Order: sequence, then C-alpha cells, then structure tokens
Amino acid sequence: MELLAYTFVQYAFLGGITLAILAGVLGPFVVQSRQSFSADMFAHVALAGIGAAVLFGSSPWWGALPTLLIVSTLIWWLMQTELYSPDALAMFFLSGGLALALALVHLARDTVFSFETYLFGSILTLTSNDLVAMGAALVVVGVVVWYLWYPLIGATQSPRYLLPFKKTPQAVLLLYFWILAVVVWIGIKTIGGLLIGALLVIPVLTARSWVHSFNKLVLSSVLVAVVSVVCGLLIALYVDLPPSSLIIGMLILLFAGQAGAKSLVGRG
Amino acid sequence: MKDSTVIHVSNVAKAAGERQLLRDVSFDIEAQQLVALIGPNGAGKSTLVKIILGLDPHFTGEAVVRENERVQYIPQLVLHDHHQLPLSVHEYLKIGTTPLYRGMHSSVDFVSALKHVGVSETVLSQSYRSLSGGERQRVAIARALLAQPTVLVLDEPLAAVDYASRPGLYELIRHLQTDHGLTVLLVSHDVDSVLPISDRVLCLNVTLHTDCHPSVFSDTHLQVPSSIEHHC
Repeated sequence: MELLAYTFVQYAFLGGITLAILAGVLGPFVVQSRQSFSADMFAHVALAGIGAAVLFGSSPWWGALPTLLIVSTLIWWLMQTELYSPDALAMFFLSGGLALALALVHLARDTVFSFETYLFGSILTLTSNDLVAMGAALVVVGVVVWYLWYPLIGATQSPRYLLPFKKTPQAVLLLYFWILAVVVWIGIKTIGGLLIGALLVIPVLTARSWVHSFNKLVLSSVLVAVVSVVCGLLIALYVDLPPSSLIIGMLILLFAGQAGAKSLVGRG
Repeated sequence: MKDSTVIHVSNVAKAAGERQLLRDVSFDIEAQQLVALIGPNGAGKSTLVKIILGLDPHFTGEAVVRENERVQYIPQLVLHDHHQLPLSVHEYLKIGTTPLYRGMHSSVDFVSALKHVGVSETVLSQSYRSLSGGERQRVAIARALLAQPTVLVLDEPLAAVDYASRPGLYELIRHLQTDHGLTVLLVSHDVDSVLPISDRVLCLNVTLHTDCHPSVFSDTHLQVPSSIEHHC
C-alpha cells in the first residue's frame, strides 16, 4: 500500500473516480437515448482535434475539447434534420474523425507523438492541471444535470413524448451532447477513447435489473463505475497490466456477477 | 380559418416514394370538440397526426394548430419494450410537468392527478413498466392533464389495452374532455368504441371520405372507396 503515497498514484485515483462519477451519471442517459455508439463516435472525433493540435503545436488534449464541442453541435443539428439515422451518422463521424486524425498527424511530421495514449488512456500520467480541469468539468456537468434532471430524462427518452411545439427538448438534447462531449474528453485522458464507452454503458446494464427508478439507476451506475475504477487501479498497482484493461475487466466481472445473481434470484 | 377553429388542415398531401400516404386532406376542428379520426390500418391516421403536431415537416398543404394552444400528445402505448430503462411513475409524471417544458412554475399534486384518472397513489413509487396497459394509459392521461392542455391528441391510445378496460378508458377521456373544456382529436380504428363518445367522426383512407356526426355514421362509410367524399 506504500504505492498509494506516490502523488501520481493519488492523481490516478482522483482522476479515475472523477471520470467514474461522470460516466455513471451520464451513462443512463446515453443508454436510454439508444446512442451507446456515440461515445466511440465522439472519441474518434476527439482524435481529429488532437491531430489538429499536434499540427499546430498546441496541447493535444486541450485541442480535442473545442473540436468535440463544435462537432457535437454539428451532429446534433444533423440528427434534428432526421435525414440520417443515428447509427449511420455515428459511423460517418467515427471513420471520418479517425481518417482526419491520421492525416493531420502525418502532416505534422511528429515522430514522437503516439495516438495510443489517447486511445487507451494514460491515467498514471495525470497532472494537477489535468485534475483541476476534470474537477471543473465535474462541477459544470453536475450543475447542468442537476438543474435539468427531468428534462434530460424526457429529452433522451423519446422526443415524441414531449411538447411538440416548443424548442426546449431540442435545446436540452444539445446540452446533453455537449456534456457527453466533455465526459469523453476526460475519458480520453484517463481510461482512453476506445474504452470510455464501456464505462458509460456497462454500469447501466449491470444496475438496470435491480432498480425501479431512473434516480436509483444513476446512483447504482455511479457506484458500479467507482467500484470498478478503484478496484481496477488497486489491482494495477500489483499486477503488470494496463489500468484501463483492469477497469474494464472489473466492469465485465460485476456485470457477469449480477447476471448470475439475477438468474439465481429468478429461479428462486 | 375561423376564430373558433383550433386545428386547421387544408389540402394536406404526403407521399413516400411511389406510395401516396395522404391526398388532399382538409378539415377544421372547432374548440371543445371531441373528434374521432378513424380508418383502417395504413390509412394515414398517424402520419396525419404527426403532421398536425409539427413532428413531420415533409408534406404539402397546410396543417396548423391555433396560436397559444397548449397541446398534449398521447401516443400509442408500447407494452413490451424490454430495452426501456427503469422509470418510476413519479418520475414519469415529473418529466411531463417540469417547468422547463410547460413554461410555468406551480406545485403539482400527483396524488390528486392520479385519483382523477382512477389510479391509486400507491403506484407513485412503482416502476411505470410494472403497470398494466390500462393503468399506464391512465397515468399517461394524468400526466398530459397536469400540463394543463387546451388540446389533447390521442393516437390509438388503447390499442395495447385489454378489451375489458377500454370502455372505462373511453368514458374517462370523454368525461375529462367535458370537465376541462378540451379540444380532443382521438385517432382509432376501434370504431364501435369511439362513436358513442365523439362529437364528430372523420373517416380517413389516404383521403378524407367521411366527415359526419356519429349518429348518422354507418359501416358503409368505412367501405366507401377513397375517391368518394361524404359530408353528412
């Protein structure tokens, strides 16, 4: 346990728990809107922003944020037009983002830069500045979700249930896209762009059969996500495996455990 | 469009590729009328409702709801959506009554609202999915009424509800319409059930071929080819 005295380990736990809370809170909205693919889509879009930042010599992680916010607005607008299905849009931006990212990094001629850090995360390299940014994101997302709790549930549930003559559900959906973009932005720094989707979705699948309200589903999802992150990081201190893999492994174990328990309860 | 007209539909047409979904549909619905829109499956009833509600902008003609009307829409019930996440009845009601949506800040009495539609307050903490089809639609109506609407649009509201529960629910709709002075557009293919509670019947089969009082409506109106119009 003396490893916990190291600053970089403490930062990893703080960053991981922050991400787990954010993913746990937002995950039920993502699953409910049937856009589980959107996390992957945003992650690949973020790679294009990272590529642009590398090309222009600025911080890759910070370069991803404006790109995510701009492109999430564009995706929201395209979805409002109802010309394209959400899954087709997801594949369009997922592939397009990755292709653009590769091209931009190639143009930058940066031989040191590697996408791997952002694809699979680098939670053990978090700095105090990163934690401040994550803390600020947690507060912003927390305030938005707290204030717009029921409108967010309604807007992500299905637009047909809402008042059709007002623009508010669409505005709430745009805000939802922005906060999802922020969570993915934090995710690419910690657990990795390719793995953040699991932290958003698996806790919801684990908790959904055991609760009867959305409120409890969010609390349970946060609990599952935090337990997975903490256990995954603790194991990573002693086992020579990537923390991201261990965190996702914990998520899968918890999901399998509850599925087995549910099966036993059902038989009983 | 007269001052008393709440819903105005004029020469509405819509096609999907080669197939004509709606053709030259025109009618007005006056304030505080309960109008039944009936027709067989595939007649274009739900398509027309979406156009009236502003959910489908891809059509020709004119479909407007009078300015400042507060519209609530109760769609067809989906009973077996296993992918739906848990939602308590209390949360279900809250979604429809949050100030951001209805633009007003007032305390909401869910217990009274549920009693009003004949549902016990004990369901508030239960999962919405655990309710029967009839209970779910009563709760949906309670939520719609909590938003203090002036217009209620119901699209096949009882299609997934068992036959025994239907007469009571139709009576409830009529009772609430009278009590609250609502303008109601009730879409259904359950002709026998909606006729007794309606002020007027519109029969749609791609085009509108019957617009009459329920007392003079007969089965022959349903069999008329879509090219012939009846105004009785």
